Amino acid sequence: MTARFATLTRPAAGVDWHKQTGHHRVGFFLAVVGLMLAAVTLIANLGVASDVSASSSLSTLRWSFGLTTLAFGTIKVAIAIVLVGILIRLWQRVDSVKAALPHLKAEGGGGGIESGAIDTAFGPATVDATTPAPLPIHRMAHTMWLPMLAMGAMALLAGTVVSFLWAGDETDVALGAWTQGLQFLGEALLLSGIAFLLGAILRALREGGGGLQESLGIGVVTLKMPRTARIFVGLMMAGLMLGILQFILYITVAGGVDQSAAWFAWLGPLRELSLGLILAGIVMALVTIGNVLAFQFGRIRQIIATGK
Amino acid sequence: MTTATPTHAIKTTSQGLGYALPHKMGRALWAPMWVTALMGFAVGFVLAIARAGIVSDFGVADAGAQRLNHLVPAFMFVGFLGVFASVSFAVARILGAFRKGGGDLQEQVGGEVHTLKMPLTGRLFMLTMMMGMMLIGVMVVLHFVVAGNVGTWSAETVEAWAVSLEGFRRLGVAIYLFGIAFGLGTIITVLRFQAGRIRQLAGV
Repeated sequence: MTARFATLTRPAAGVDWHKQTGHHRVGFFLAVVGLMLAAVTLIANLGVASDVSASSSLSTLRWSFGLTTLAFGTIKVAIAIVLVGILIRLWQRVDSVKAALPHLKAEGGGGGIESGAIDTAFGPATVDATTPAPLPIHRMAHTMWLPMLAMGAMALLAGTVVSFLWAGDETDVALGAWTQGLQFLGEALLLSGIAFLLGAILRALREGGGGLQESLGIGVVTLKMPRTARIFVGLMMAGLMLGILQFILYITVAGGVDQSAAWFAWLGPLRELSLGLILAGIVMALVTIGNVLAFQFGRIRQIIATGK
Repeated sequence: MTTATPTHAIKTTSQGLGYALPHKMGRALWAPMWVTALMGFAVGFVLAIARAGIVSDFGVADAGAQRLNHLVPAFMFVGFLGVFASVSFAVARILGAFRKGGGDLQEQVGGEVHTLKMPLTGRLFMLTMMMGMMLIGVMVVLHFVVAGNVGTWSAETVEAWAVSLEGFRRLGVAIYLFGIAFGLGTIITVLRFQAGRIRQLAGV
């Protein structure tokens, strides 16, 4: 089971790197499906807007809400699949650089490795003889991305089913609360799964870069966790907590509260805020990946020029 | 010079090409858009709490609640516009890191510098990002327009606008997410190209 899980994000031994992995094709297909679902709900909304007083308006808006959120979730799953493809390709890139670098690097570069802290153009780094162990967030990301995506998809689908029940009921506040709570819990979990996949990419960059340097017998230079990565973790966790909180509050409303309209008035933006925070964290993860890549290109050039 | 490998269209030059315009934009704009997003979400949420207070005291039909019913999504979607733009720019920044890093590395090794021409997925990424941005941006402006006309327009007209704008806003988000999937897909293409190119440089 563990081995099967690992092969989801790492190429199996002996796999030809020329071959397409197919992840991007599956991802693009799902993204198109999601976009089409969103277009259907736009048409539904425009139909309602043409006659808002029609008896079917409320029902249409309810299923259209459920279907739109499902559309967003579908595209997020598509993004996650593409990210898995990136992870596999990153490991194949590591293999390629490992194969090529001994032929490209300057002769020499022997001598002892001076371990310790250094400053680089991309921030503080450490020099070691071996690849540093993954950070706790890397281990967590590696373990959690798939469960998060699976739980998110289940919550989202459950919410979509409830949205159709809600559409068939003229007044039920409870079904409305369950729809919104479940679907946006699903969205928050899906986005967190994506964020964890980005964390897994950062882990792959760290492990791959370290393993490459170690294989050459030179000092393993690794960036310390940058500030952008810390902000990423903080925002993602805050957003996920809010996503869970909004679900609990919607269940509270479903259980019966005074003035449910007032609750809905701020719970809607709260759930959007939760997604916004996770997305803001995702930006920081992407920025960190960009910085690590630039650092690694610099390090490869240094190895080519000096042999160490 | 432009040539093509069996699977990739490339440009061949004697020097690394550095960042292209989209990469430069990504590097310059991800942070301002990120800050815009956080401000939009914060203002939108504060207004939502204010609206909840009005709804609690006067009901959803109150003019203030109706006005805020347009202002809250307007600010929340300033937030989403900002954060999706920031994600897109950060993806463009990563693609820039590959292009510049790969070019500089080849230049250092000597010989020809092969740079991947922008793949179709990259073009779709930019196109859909702009479409999503414009769609959400226009909807935000229209929300402000409708909010300014609450009390002047009939309640039915205001409601009809709310429903229409919601549909277009959602489509804007879907288009943005769609574009991000294509931007990330472009990274897969670049990684595959670079994995092959470095082996080619070393002759392995």
